[in-house]
Amino acid sequence: MTHKLLILTAVISLFLSGCGQTAPDLNGSNNISDANAISGDTVSIDESAYGNESDGNYNSSTDGFRSVYFDFGDYAISSNMENNMNNNIKVALAVSSKIKIEGNCDEFGTDEYNYALGLKRAKAVKDSLVSQGLTSGKTVMVSFGESSPVCTEPSDSCYDRNRRVDIRLVK
Amino acid sequence: MKHLLFIILSLHLFTLSLFGVDATLKIEKDVEHRSRIALLDGSSVKNPRVFNILLSDLKISGHFIPDTTHHQGDITGKFIPPALKGQEYVLKYSMNQQSGSKLLIRLLKASDGTQVFKKSYAVPSKAKMPFLLHKAIADVNNVLKYPDISWINRYVVYAVYTTPGRSEIRLADYTMTYKKTIIKGGLNLFPKWADAKQRAIYYTSYKELIPTLYKLNIYNGSKQKIASSQGMLVCSDVSKNGSKILLTMAPEGQADIYEMNVASRSKKRVTKFKGIDVNGRYIDNESRIVFISNRLGYPNVFKKSINSAATSQVVYRGRNNNACDAHGNKIVYSSRESNNAFGKNTFNLYLATSGSSSTRPLTATGTNQFPRFSANGSVILYLKQKGHSTSIGYINLTSSQSLLFPFDDKKVQSIDW
Repeated sequence: MTHKLLILTAVISLFLSGCGQTAPDLNGSNNISDANAISGDTVSIDESAYGNESDGNYNSSTDGFRSVYFDFGDYAISSNMENNMNNNIKVALAVSSKIKIEGNCDEFGTDEYNYALGLKRAKAVKDSLVSQGLTSGKTVMVSFGESSPVCTEPSDSCYDRNRRVDIRLVK
Repeated sequence: MKHLLFIILSLHLFTLSLFGVDATLKIEKDVEHRSRIALLDGSSVKNPRVFNILLSDLKISGHFIPDTTHHQGDITGKFIPPALKGQEYVLKYSMNQQSGSKLLIRLLKASDGTQVFKKSYAVPSKAKMPFLLHKAIADVNNVLKYPDISWINRYVVYAVYTTPGRSEIRLADYTMTYKKTIIKGGLNLFPKWADAKQRAIYYTSYKELIPTLYKLNIYNGSKQKIASSQGMLVCSDVSKNGSKILLTMAPEGQADIYEMNVASRSKKRVTKFKGIDVNGRYIDNESRIVFISNRLGYPNVFKKSINSAATSQVVYRGRNNNACDAHGNKIVYSSRESNNAFGKNTFNLYLATSGSSSTRPLTATGTNQFPRFSANGSVILYLKQKGHSTSIGYINLTSSQSLLFPFDDKKVQSIDW
């Protein structure tokens, strides 16, 4: 008896799952073209003329500065970067130009957070330079997130090189 | 008798498994609310691509149980092939791409061939063919009085890295069949739709000394400079009427969230934390925002009122919840769930609400990132990587159906829908 009841329930549920809604009683006489909203063509813009990305110089420090490298997910300057930072403050104090401090990340972040992490790294380097006498107004920071890797191999040593701050003069 | 019972229960389980591609979701809408429908191709040349797009549209709508066989036949007349008599509807269609794209559809009752709906569509571009198909299925859906699915007609805009220091901003239909690069050259990131009609985008350009936000009309190319900021600058969200935007910017070198009145360009600082506050999204009728912050020492989802300082934690699980999107009071976030510093990592998506601490898993395998709600909040777009393949995925939250489409752009930077 129990088996019969179970089978009956299952069969009824299968039958019901096959039922659809009743078709509306419409007459199909509206043969019109309705594609205006999607026919407009969109633009194609080429910004290659703007050249500050085309010289490949995002990928390392220039003008006598040395890149500063960071641990995974971190934005504190480690003690093994001391020599690089000592060099950077000497160069920074000796030049008259504005200095651009660029934060970079490996590819393991997502979306906005990785750009904020790159910025925190740039700010750590800037704060260190300012604490040693550099005028804050002489610097400008930009985070490039994961957009400018110097190394694209899938290896730990490669990722290490991408978690960095590059410094260069604004020209 | 036991065998018969086993067979029936197995059939039920098989039916459910068909719709559980990627998600561990509760079936919220029973299948009896869906219409069984078959597609019948009346084109002079059989086109599997057209059939597959129509089939995807029907599936992801959540309102149909489509027959997955590519039937061919005469588009005219009332004749319904005997094999299709078990369906409720037959959608006859004909696609002609000799000059542009022309589509004719006829929706018939399968029982007697009565015509329910007939419409023709045309567009000068062959490439835009997918949009004709999406529009046709959205119309069929409306004719049958199902809830609106016009989100299938929308463009997806996304940025991809091409080489170090360079990117492109592209448009696509939701299946990624249609693709067009609208900005190339330089480093242009974080595209975001500026209006509900998708006529303009905001994006961040790096062509100047510091990041600069532009608003670009994608039809006539007119461009306005909106703001610039050292450090970083991202348009994270746009209010419903387009009058306000949420920016992540760092005028003092500190990433915080600001709300800008687009007309007056006046800005209000919404977060003031010394760590990282990013990814602001409007919730609760734009009176509050959710955002990603590392104020607990790791990235997580928080919320706060636009006009008061009180901030509260939204998500209480996971130690690396680094991106989110919101619609109404619904929040979807991605969570990094493996401990490997490098290499393969698991990111899964979870659904939460602003008024509750409970979360619901949406994905279970692979790397799932960049979640974005559809315009009506019923579907979530995301990027999935599993092994060496990348797909763009969709989860219909109402019907629990999931779809994945191959996606060959390797390094996606940001997506909006």
